[in-house]
Amino acid sequence: MENKDTKEKLLREFAPQLEKTSSATLVWILFLLGVIAWGVYAFVAQVTKGHIVTGMRDNVVWGIYIVNFIFFMGMSYAGAIISGTLQLFRTEWRKPIIRMAEYLAIISLLIGPGYILLCIGRLDRLHYLALFGRIQSPITWDVIAISTDIFGCLIFLYLSILRDIASLRDFSELKIPAWRKKIYSMLALGYTGLPEQVKRLRRATDIMATMVIAIAIIVYSVLAWIFSVTLQPGWHSTIFGPYFVIAAVYSGTGVLIIAMWVFRKVYRLDQYITRKHFVAMGVLMVVLAALFGYFTFSDYLTKWYGSEKNDESLIRILFTEYYWPFIFSNYVGVLIPLLVIGIPKLRTITNITLSALIVIVALWFNRYLIVIPTLESPYLPIQDSRPEWANYAGTWVEYALMAAGVALFCLMFTIASKFVPVMNVSEMSETPKTESSELFKTEESLL
Amino acid sequence: MRTQNKIRIIFFFLLCFCKLVTSAQNKKDSVTEITPSITFTYLNSNDTIILTANIFDKKEQGVFAIKNAVIEFSASGDKETQNLGQAKADEEGNAILKLPVATAIPKDKDGKTTYTAKFNGKGKFQPAMETFSAKLARITVNFSKEDSLHFILVTATQVDYKGSVKPIQKEKVVVYVPRLFTLLKIGETDLDEAGTGKVEYTMKLVGDSLGNIMVLARIEENDKFGNVQGQSSISWGIPKQYYLAERPTRELWTPIAPIWMIVTLITMLTGVWAHYIYAVIQLIKIKQISKKNPENPENSGFPHNQ
Repeated sequence: MENKDTKEKLLREFAPQLEKTSSATLVWILFLLGVIAWGVYAFVAQVTKGHIVTGMRDNVVWGIYIVNFIFFMGMSYAGAIISGTLQLFRTEWRKPIIRMAEYLAIISLLIGPGYILLCIGRLDRLHYLALFGRIQSPITWDVIAISTDIFGCLIFLYLSILRDIASLRDFSELKIPAWRKKIYSMLALGYTGLPEQVKRLRRATDIMATMVIAIAIIVYSVLAWIFSVTLQPGWHSTIFGPYFVIAAVYSGTGVLIIAMWVFRKVYRLDQYITRKHFVAMGVLMVVLAALFGYFTFSDYLTKWYGSEKNDESLIRILFTEYYWPFIFSNYVGVLIPLLVIGIPKLRTITNITLSALIVIVALWFNRYLIVIPTLESPYLPIQDSRPEWANYAGTWVEYALMAAGVALFCLMFTIASKFVPVMNVSEMSETPKTESSELFKTEESLL
Repeated sequence: MRTQNKIRIIFFFLLCFCKLVTSAQNKKDSVTEITPSITFTYLNSNDTIILTANIFDKKEQGVFAIKNAVIEFSASGDKETQNLGQAKADEEGNAILKLPVATAIPKDKDGKTTYTAKFNGKGKFQPAMETFSAKLARITVNFSKEDSLHFILVTATQVDYKGSVKPIQKEKVVVYVPRLFTLLKIGETDLDEAGTGKVEYTMKLVGDSLGNIMVLARIEENDKFGNVQGQSSISWGIPKQYYLAERPTRELWTPIAPIWMIVTLITMLTGVWAHYIYAVIQLIKIKQISKKNPENPENSGFPHNQ
């Protein structure tokens, strides 16, 4: 049941975020635009000069673009799974953070596939995928799955923000241009909180929450199958599907913690996003760290023990040429959250955020190690080839476009938070159920 | 100062010791010679003499074949020695030389020829040699059918010093049928005065697609004749039928995807999109409810204020 006073109080509190843009935010946006412009320049260089400006060659045909694609898609699925699960289970502490998870899901999903387009050499032939695409191809599965997921996440996000949009439409104190009011009015679909509307909205939201969880798992598994259905050493693994899903949710949890920390600081949401929320997300991160570590160990153990020639070669490369990234992604990235959350004294907001940052970087390297070293150790011997063709190193063009993707992600997050409050105001104004509030009254109950 | 001198002296002696050990080791390495061994086998198969010399080095760690060793083969009788040729040892150390039986080969007064396989040595590999004496012989294999019984008839002959052909008597001949990995023994017989023997064929073996089986008759490791082999084929086997095992088709290469894949995909997509449509319908209904509601601020034209 919504409490109108609480809602108005919250709207009044969030109104400045929507009405004004501080000079600091403007500088931030300009900075992001600058980075994006650098990316555009790199993209132009790539289109005019061809893919020779990247580090990708005959042998290593996938590089940072694919790594980023996997990484962003992973964050998206993490956002979908986390927001869907929190929504379905009516978790009380979800309210201040669920909107961020929803933003994470859709924004990452819009950016991720862009890297595929950057990786493709002949964009002029892109429509062939629709014209001549074959269902047997995992790439076709991926295209179908991602487009389905985009629609699903958009509907889910829309359902989630509908009540807040209606509230903003009806909030007379909000000083925004008329065109924005008009957009709110149009998007609110005449929602006024009638019992029948509430019932239908809740039903649709719950169904879509279920769907986004299922689709996220399927879609990310499909992405994993693109690798595992090949016979490449290091990729041909039956556990790649669940491994990818776990890694995705793990990295996404890290990103969500960072987003919580940033918005908490920027919009001064200390009273809403508390240590309790960070610890709750930290616990989730620890569980995922354990699962991720288990899957990683299981995958490499079976490869190592099987002693298949090419697997052995791959593991040798991982433990020699890629020693430090391997140790960082698979050891440091797993152990740090376990230590930070496992030791009560270390369980502070800053520590949890820092460990989340480490997890994000570690998981990016994890994807790098999945893609690059494998292509550097193929079944067919690399011979009569230049050394720089057999090994991969990203160029400034790729790193510029990677930075542009991250900047676009931040920019979209910033703009989204300017359109609809970064916290679910309508849900936060609801009176919590007694048992739920009791259950999550203390952070100890979470552990 | 004294301590430093001591350390210098110890260091000097250590250096000397190391040098001594190293030079001793080098010296030892330089004089280490390899004395190869040769095992020599002789097989007279139909019209071909096959000489096989296996050259190897026997160490504590095991037997090591000497690859690429050149083996010279020769044949000698009472008076003369004839070079037969040379062959290079393969990875297993086998140097094989094949000669047609028609080749004029020196013999002694008993009709025996002494074959020699010789390695002349190279570098640290010492020379090695092995000999084998054998009398030229021949086995022919024939078949007969008496009522419902099948017999393999073997006839063994030898060539004496003068070149005349005589039967081989009282020697044991073993009859085989080659199978996939080895020879299957199907019987043996002792040669009679006429140099003939008879083995009943009772087995039901699978032959080729026409039912042909190869039958080998052998005098094995004989002091006079060495290994002598004769062979012939007969269609007493069961014709082999080739069944083409059903291979799973790689339907990924066909224009149409497998049915299960199409069904799964359509089912999943239908399920997902049906739920999407349901959610969108709920949104449309929400809009419709608001239109029907007279208190809706959008309908009344009042400002949107709660």
